[in-house]
Amino acid sequence: MKEAMRDESGRELDRVLSCARNCRHYAMCKIDYLGSGVCASGLAKRFVSYYPQGRMDLYAALREGTIPVTRGALDIADGCNLCGKCDYQCYFVTGLRPTIVMRALKQFLSDHAEASGIIEPTTEDGFLWLLRGIVGEEWATSDRAIAVTYSHDPCPVAAPKMPAYVVMPGTTAEVAALLRLLRENGVSWTARGNGTNILGFELSDGVVIDLNRLQDISFNESSWSVRVGPGVSAFELQRAAYQRGYRVNVAEPAALVCASIICSGILSLFATAYGTCADNVIDAQFAAPNGHLFSLNQKDAPNLFAFSSSGAQSPGICVSADLKLHAMTADEAGVLVPFETLENALHFAKDCALRRIGFAIGVLGAEYVSSFMAPTQELANQVKGIFRDKLGMACLVLVLGDRYALQSVRKMGHPLIDQRLFRTLSLGLPMLGNAGWLDLLAQLSRDESFSFLTTEGFAELAETALAPSPALLASAVDPELRAFYETVYSRPELTDLVWLNMFRITSSRVGREKHFFPLLIYLPLEFGLIDELCREFGAIAGRHGIKNELGFITPIDCGKRCIFEYDYYADQCDPDDIGRVRQAAQEAGSLIEEVSARTGTIRWLRYVLYQGFCRKENLLYAAEAVGTWGVEREEVPPVPLREPPPLRCGGDPAAAVPGKESARERS
Amino acid sequence: MSGAAAGAGFVLTGATGFLGSHPMAALVRRGDRVLVFGRPCKGSSLQKRVAGLLDWFGVQSGPGQVEAAEVDLLKPWLGLDPARYDELCSRGSRIVHLASDTRFSRANLPQSLDTNVHSLKEIIRFAQKSRAPFFHHVSTAYVGAAGRASCPEEPAATGDFANIYEETKARAEAEVAARCGESGVAYSILRPSIVYGDARTGRANSFTALYHHVKALSLIRDIYLGDLLSQGGARSRACGIRLDAAGVLHLPLRIFLPQRGSVNLIPVDYFVGAALQVMEKARPGCIYHLTSDTPSNMEELASYCGTFLNLQGIQIIYGDPPGGWLPNPPEALFHKFIEPYRPYLSDTRNFERRNTDAATAGQLPPRLSYQVFQRCMEYAARVNWGSEAQRNGSSLPVR
Repeated sequence: MKEAMRDESGRELDRVLSCARNCRHYAMCKIDYLGSGVCASGLAKRFVSYYPQGRMDLYAALREGTIPVTRGALDIADGCNLCGKCDYQCYFVTGLRPTIVMRALKQFLSDHAEASGIIEPTTEDGFLWLLRGIVGEEWATSDRAIAVTYSHDPCPVAAPKMPAYVVMPGTTAEVAALLRLLRENGVSWTARGNGTNILGFELSDGVVIDLNRLQDISFNESSWSVRVGPGVSAFELQRAAYQRGYRVNVAEPAALVCASIICSGILSLFATAYGTCADNVIDAQFAAPNGHLFSLNQKDAPNLFAFSSSGAQSPGICVSADLKLHAMTADEAGVLVPFETLENALHFAKDCALRRIGFAIGVLGAEYVSSFMAPTQELANQVKGIFRDKLGMACLVLVLGDRYALQSVRKMGHPLIDQRLFRTLSLGLPMLGNAGWLDLLAQLSRDESFSFLTTEGFAELAETALAPSPALLASAVDPELRAFYETVYSRPELTDLVWLNMFRITSSRVGREKHFFPLLIYLPLEFGLIDELCREFGAIAGRHGIKNELGFITPIDCGKRCIFEYDYYADQCDPDDIGRVRQAAQEAGSLIEEVSARTGTIRWLRYVLYQGFCRKENLLYAAEAVGTWGVEREEVPPVPLREPPPLRCGGDPAAAVPGKESARERS
Repeated sequence: MSGAAAGAGFVLTGATGFLGSHPMAALVRRGDRVLVFGRPCKGSSLQKRVAGLLDWFGVQSGPGQVEAAEVDLLKPWLGLDPARYDELCSRGSRIVHLASDTRFSRANLPQSLDTNVHSLKEIIRFAQKSRAPFFHHVSTAYVGAAGRASCPEEPAATGDFANIYEETKARAEAEVAARCGESGVAYSILRPSIVYGDARTGRANSFTALYHHVKALSLIRDIYLGDLLSQGGARSRACGIRLDAAGVLHLPLRIFLPQRGSVNLIPVDYFVGAALQVMEKARPGCIYHLTSDTPSNMEELASYCGTFLNLQGIQIIYGDPPGGWLPNPPEALFHKFIEPYRPYLSDTRNFERRNTDAATAGQLPPRLSYQVFQRCMEYAARVNWGSEAQRNGSSLPVR
């Protein structure tokens, strides 16, 4: 009977494998951003393998024969109770329904048990026991089922690397001890947050140090600060701060805060007011590669405030960061100001930034906006067509501010989409596609751009026309999820521009159709230069036949400069698409280098890696020559500053393993 | 001066637009040779667009009868290479200049000036080089100063214009007179009023001006019908909008106009017939008003709209809105929509037609009766006001 079911459901299996292989690794299944809960086994076991993301990778690896069936694989599969929470979380950003993969994984292993039943034993060598001596037996593994879920990244330029070991330290002392051990044994390593950099930085064939267990958050409101461990995600921190009436400057929701900072500094629309890199950091503690601890504010610490345009080595692992808490006001709201041209949008955004109007500003491409708003890709494509092609909105500028700021925006005279209209459009999206009255709006725009937005009562008319409601929006999604979506979208924050941009739960939707590869640059907020880059990036993409779009542009440094993202898109399961994006990325990189050399005013994010704690001024204002591709990076000199605290097991890690000589004994 | 030698044909600009396509089709049907000057367009060559238009009109052209030349009226020598330019000049055709930017907003002034005024330099130079027997410039009746009781067929006086379209067209007329005078090119100026579809068949290939208002009302009507029939109607009722037992939508819509006046509308079939007659009999330097001597008024048009759209409640009120008046949402949108056209809805100008009457033997445009209105609007609604064309990638409504 099983054979017959397999034959009959042959197509079903392909759909399942496709789903598994399309996991974007945005790690949204690891945070409770919808209030629906998080995978129970993931919370218990912590390794990414036990989360839906990990099970997707595991299933694909087993189906493709990349790894054998191990005890770990069985444990991971058994840990899933098919609760379906992952469907809510994943579908919200990617349109995928992982439960079919969870089910298929169980079936695969069940079939395997019936067929051969062979469980490949995991090699547990001496080094593994040294690792376990530091973190405890359950927190270090060489099981291939776990290792494979740390082995790849959908980034087209990241080559897979199967780690030999994965460890999860639970304290700063354990982190320090691990680094010392690894250094003493010449073992390569990388620290891993949630892997949401999607550029492959979290991959290693040595040891992957997963920091997810270090999730302390402690507030010191009297000094407007919060201390976070390296396992704290942006969403969790923002939620905790928000509950106290504050806001923090963080990145996409599933990104771990410390990792985000060290990788790139925080890239956010709030950089307009809050800056980037060290601007939001009061202090931070690190475990250096030699295992010693230091903090940013120590006089004799490595100078992480400096910036080297030729790049830098990892200074170690950030084990905690003290971040600024920012006040909020009760009258905050957002507006979207549409423009027919990027030039006009940039001019407006710069004007706002120069005049300190608004605390978050972003020039958003139509792809971004439509993806953020639409719960399905089909609807996003429709909305993009309406905004860009029918209504002539090439891009929109988001401005978040208090009522005085928004009054200023209104006085600047541009028609805009206010919070009320945004909510109406969001909840009425399914009706927008067939709205004949959009022709009226297009006609009105012919003589005066977007003049319909200044019509008295337009928001009310739009409400009448679209009949927006959570139920209406939910009608666009898969039938089994509609009740859930209706409940979720009944929460006012799901259509609130300020909340959505603080928590960024929809930002990953930009990768829903295809995984995106961002080209991120700091540069002067000048139309000529930005236009040149957009045209050239577009031309490169065109030559290679890949999807490409402007992502966002955020003014920083009082409107003098900006963070600029341009996106290439690749089907992560299509080797041909990946190959073309790789080539395009290579050419785009050469272009960035050439423009950097010509202007001297550009900083490519590639060179910010590991320097995210630098002073913004050193990053943006330094006069040294920009680096070139492949320049040797300078070694960070080890500075023994203070002895780490004693280990949990009280001494020599090798003592944990009977018969194993210690490193000291060997030397 | 009578018509040019047979076979010399016509050069048309703006022939892919609403107003220009109709005389183009009529000339081709009549057997004239036609050379169309137009801009290149992404995705479709000028030749293809012209062929599509003729197909829409149901007109078959003979071999070599219709030619298209992609030109840039703002560039020296029309942006053509010298050999091609000289070859086109050799034909000695009459020129009918219909290309126009019809937008009203001052934000578009640079483009309007380019299209309506600056383009004249090169097209008139072409007329001179080609020894065109005549240069017929299509302007607008509304270059005449508003508020005047009588608008003679004379050069436009300077004055206040309602929008940049009127302003640039008035400047264009002066430019035509000056350049043609300097170049020794005989010219005439045709001034049509507001043109709508074919009164006999209802067909049109573009839905502007009169159609805008009817379309706007129909779409607004549909919004509230949808609310009343599918959403319970609370929002409609809050605006005083209701559906009666007979299915008539009661939509309070007050339209404020400064004074009683008229709306001067002519059907495109009249425009074509009159224009061709004028061009055959034009006297150099003459101006011709292609206008109605029995213009409609807003009460009439409101009544037509109400009957056609099965709605009641449109009120025409003369004078300023009362202090503190707050429009309901449909009123606000409709007012926004008609704002650029407001000067034409209660116009008090009386357009003289002495020259036109002489050239056309007194032929007058038909009055816009409800039957004609209904015919035209039914056609427009049938082709979804031209939206189907945009969706299927052409510039023409599906027949």
